[in-house]
Amino acid sequence: MTTVIDGRELQPPEPMERTLEALDGLAEGDDLLLLLYCQPHPLFNILKNNGYVWTEELLPEGTREIRIRKAPG
Amino acid sequence: MHPSLSFDQAPPISVPYRFFLVAPWFGVMAGILLAWSGQDALASRWTPEALALTHLIALGFMLQAMSGAMFQFIPVAVGGNVWRPRLVANAVQPVLVLATLLLIAGFLFRRPGLLSAAVPLFLLAVGGFVIAVALALWRTPATGMTLWAMRMAIGGLAVTVLLGSLLAESLARGLAVPIVELTNIHLAWGLGGWALMLLAGVSYHVVPMFQLTQPYPLWFTRGFGPLLLLLLLAWSGQYFLDDLRRPVAIGLPLLAVFFAYAGMTLWLQYTRRRKIHDATSLYFRVAMLSLLAFAISGTAFFLVPAIGADPRSVVWLGVLAFAGVFVSAVTGMMYKIMPFLNWLHLMRLGAPMLAVPNMKKMLAAEMMTGQLRLHVLALLLLLAAVWLPGLARLAGVAFAASSAWLGWNLISAMRRYQTFRDQIRAVALHR
Repeated sequence: MTTVIDGRELQPPEPMERTLEALDGLAEGDDLLLLLYCQPHPLFNILKNNGYVWTEELLPEGTREIRIRKAPG
Repeated sequence: MHPSLSFDQAPPISVPYRFFLVAPWFGVMAGILLAWSGQDALASRWTPEALALTHLIALGFMLQAMSGAMFQFIPVAVGGNVWRPRLVANAVQPVLVLATLLLIAGFLFRRPGLLSAAVPLFLLAVGGFVIAVALALWRTPATGMTLWAMRMAIGGLAVTVLLGSLLAESLARGLAVPIVELTNIHLAWGLGGWALMLLAGVSYHVVPMFQLTQPYPLWFTRGFGPLLLLLLLAWSGQYFLDDLRRPVAIGLPLLAVFFAYAGMTLWLQYTRRRKIHDATSLYFRVAMLSLLAFAISGTAFFLVPAIGADPRSVVWLGVLAFAGVFVSAVTGMMYKIMPFLNWLHLMRLGAPMLAVPNMKKMLAAEMMTGQLRLHVLALLLLLAAVWLPGLARLAGVAFAASSAWLGWNLISAMRRYQTFRDQIRAVALHR
């Protein structure tokens, strides 16, 4: 199951707050899709330190699609 | 959140705050100096008072605040890590304050010894800062034009301080160097190569993020920084090559680049889908309108030499750049950064998310917008005082008052952080 958080029209730190809340309920195999106009480095550090992996894709109109899931194993 | 999650090792909150909390008080000093000196201060860019005012803002306000912001911005925006930030900040900041005060006193009291004393302190403080920041900016794996703009800006700061040191030594020792030409190059690198380059690079990141605009177009971010750098090199080269036949040929494109950045930022603000009128957005609008006015007036001064020859025309541009563009943009940024850092560092304490107050509770909106109104009044009075010197003292009082209000607001934000931190710790102890 994919949960989508569109943070493009939210003022920081709301996208991060919503993402951290959603991570709490993220099951094995589910993923979280975060849409932003910037690279959230503080979030990346939190993910790295807490056993999550992510992929990132920059769409032509400037949106970054960040797909987060629990690290395997 | 989230006692289970660990936060990254962003610099301690004291690192940016020690710079931010000092900056406004240099603005207060500038306002008091203008109120004290009166109309003579703004008669030309070369009066001791004008030199002191310029450096109170450029070094005391802008460099302090922008250095503090860089310590924080590098990990948050481009994923880099400054080597031992607390140590570097503790070493750099007091030396920078002392060097600035010595330089100001040297200008005001015409004491060459003080100018000479300031030079090694500047080289030490800014040199240490530039090396620490440059290493972080070159080591980060991140990509993007914000990073490149920051790399170019830190180079611009190094050039500015080296030229400034040469100028101060020349004044102190009476060395035979072309003072006017070197000053023009120093000024171009300080305002363009360092301050505007950094502001633009930071804007690419924070304007869409905090003001909820569309991103800057890729062609713009790819073109702006390199073009600005090329034009600054050409601007400097014309003095070194002793070829001053076509200053307009470089000056006008330079002004066009300023105009493009200001116009683009205003356009992004105008076309955003969700309208936000917080202090940061409004401060950015004031900064960008000032930059537009700078570009238009600069063009008029180039094209109508009769106006441009008046020494007050350069002072007009100086007021627009320092008080209009940079004090406004930097203040707007601090009003966003401090509440955000308060929130981020409270989250790092590991309290449940509901226990961490909303960002809006970190600094009252009406205090920020009230201070903004006073700043705009001070800016208008300063601009008027260039042509109506009788207003200079009033403009100085207004600018000092606006800067003091800013200083008070930032202290209040820091106190709120301390209060919330103590509450969260107390709750954790009783659990």
